Amino acid sequence: MRQILAMMRKEFKQIFRDRSMVAIIFLIPVIQLFILANAITLDVMHIKLLVADLDNSRVSREMIQAFSHTKRFDIVGMTRNLDGIRRDFRSWRAQMVLIIPPKFGRNLERRLNPRIQFDVDGVDGNTAGVALGYARGILTQFGETILQNPGWRASLQGVHLISMEERMWYNPELDSRQFIIPGIVVVLLTLLPMMLSSMSLVKEKETGTLEQLIVTPMKKYELILGKLIPFLILSYVELTLVMVIAIFFFHIAMNGSYFLLGELSFVYLFTTLGLGIFISTVTSSQQQAMFLSWFISIFIILMSGFFIPIENMPDVLQKLTYLNPMRYFMYIVRDIFQKGSGLKYLLQDAIPMTAYGVFVLSVSVLKFRKRVE
Amino acid sequence: MPAKISAKIEQLTRRFGKFVAVNRVSLEVYQGEIFGFLGANGAGKTTLIRMLSGLLTPSSGSATVAGFDVMRESEAVKKNIGYMSQRFSLYADLTVEENMEFYGGIYGLPNHAIQAWKNAFFEKVGLTPFVRRLTHDVPLGFKQRLALGCALIHNPPVLFLDEPTSGVDPEARREFWNLLYELADQGKTIFVTTHFMDEAEYCHRVAFMRLGNLVIYGTPTELKRKFNQTSMQDVFLKLSGSEEDKE
Repeated sequence: MRQILAMMRKEFKQIFRDRSMVAIIFLIPVIQLFILANAITLDVMHIKLLVADLDNSRVSREMIQAFSHTKRFDIVGMTRNLDGIRRDFRSWRAQMVLIIPPKFGRNLERRLNPRIQFDVDGVDGNTAGVALGYARGILTQFGETILQNPGWRASLQGVHLISMEERMWYNPELDSRQFIIPGIVVVLLTLLPMMLSSMSLVKEKETGTLEQLIVTPMKKYELILGKLIPFLILSYVELTLVMVIAIFFFHIAMNGSYFLLGELSFVYLFTTLGLGIFISTVTSSQQQAMFLSWFISIFIILMSGFFIPIENMPDVLQKLTYLNPMRYFMYIVRDIFQKGSGLKYLLQDAIPMTAYGVFVLSVSVLKFRKRVE
Repeated sequence: MPAKISAKIEQLTRRFGKFVAVNRVSLEVYQGEIFGFLGANGAGKTTLIRMLSGLLTPSSGSATVAGFDVMRESEAVKKNIGYMSQRFSLYADLTVEENMEFYGGIYGLPNHAIQAWKNAFFEKVGLTPFVRRLTHDVPLGFKQRLALGCALIHNPPVLFLDEPTSGVDPEARREFWNLLYELADQGKTIFVTTHFMDEAEYCHRVAFMRLGNLVIYGTPTELKRKFNQTSMQDVFLKLSGSEEDKE
């Protein structure tokens, strides 16, 4: 016990004496949170819309107005020159072009089912699809309004439109920050413990102090506990800090139990701290450990569903994500935050995550030898 | 007076793959002896010391240190030895006294015992003015003394020093050796590896190692007489020379 306390005291002293370490632990996550929360947005906004109104009737003007009334679209200009579209796409002046053909208004009155055309820059397929969806929504609504219009009603009698009533659960405003910020919490609880534990163990290897510790009668579990408990505590401080900012600054809804979140974080930290030990056993310098940590981080973040939905991945890759401990915790944290789910609903992720944690930690501890090579 | 055996080494061998780092070394070392291992880099000195201190598992053979078997009772061995490596293995970002207190804690000593040892030792070796300095900023000679103090904090009967004087100026080296004599007089057994031939003269007995083999050992006087040389430097050159002849 005395040994563990001596180790912990030393660890805390070393961390707080190192200014860059303090910055890494407390400042960088906060900066990351502010930047990433705003940068990683899945909302599609301000699509640059170019309008080619070849009709110039009352209907066409009203339709354009409907597009100008939403934040989703910015009308960047009017054109009559369809050949110029290519240039506008290339120069990023426009992302989408609305083409209203000549006589559109008149044909509509005559119930000839006239069509309008959308040209979309498909380089970012995801944005293109979302933008088209918005446009479709605006047009549906527009169709309904012109039906209400007494002037039109007569001429459009008998046209049936199915109208849809939408209700978004959990995140009614579809604010992607509600989705991204809990994800950032998961990323921080992965990176920090993994890097801190691997770097600090490898540093002892590099400077020879690990060798000195090995010749003492200190037990392996005392050494590892003395090393890991400080990082566990710091991870919780970090979690609290990020939660406070998320809830009070970004107004992220926390609908679930804080206790449950804390408890499952503990289980998850087994895995990330364990990975840190593992990295330290296969590397011999801080640079190597840093490199390996980054390499692992990039993979597990990309494969966790943080911003690339797992459901969108090819089947093989989807199966591969079951090997990713972060995947489970990502689901758990988002469910706790947004849906307020209790343990009962989280078990399908919590069980594999726990198994993972126990496995990674035991393999790492076994691999960590109290002998030199 | 029959001297008490402090370490008994029999046929101790360590292989790394096909490479034999230490080849069937046998020795007996007595309590209160300063026993030196000499030899070129890669002769097997460090490997031998690491096996005796429980850092490395021997491939074959056996050894007891302070009465405990290094294979089967390595934890008991660790309680009874102090170890100081050539890198001094201190935490540069802790102060001088924090390093000492840390190692005291690691050996499970109560705080009052740590404080008592720390104050007495620092006073004795002149470390008191540096107590609150970061170890990083302390001259090498003082780091060396601090490392020795840390290795001695649990009052072990056997001490392993792996090139303890490398990089330290002659004045500090001489003072360090005075300390070692004092410790030997108190009955501690000291194993030391060194490059410096003048230090070989200070040892009670020395052993020459070459390519993992223990070539010869004895008191400096015996060895000098045997090779008909006036200094250990010449004995060493003679031994190294015969090695070159062979190869």
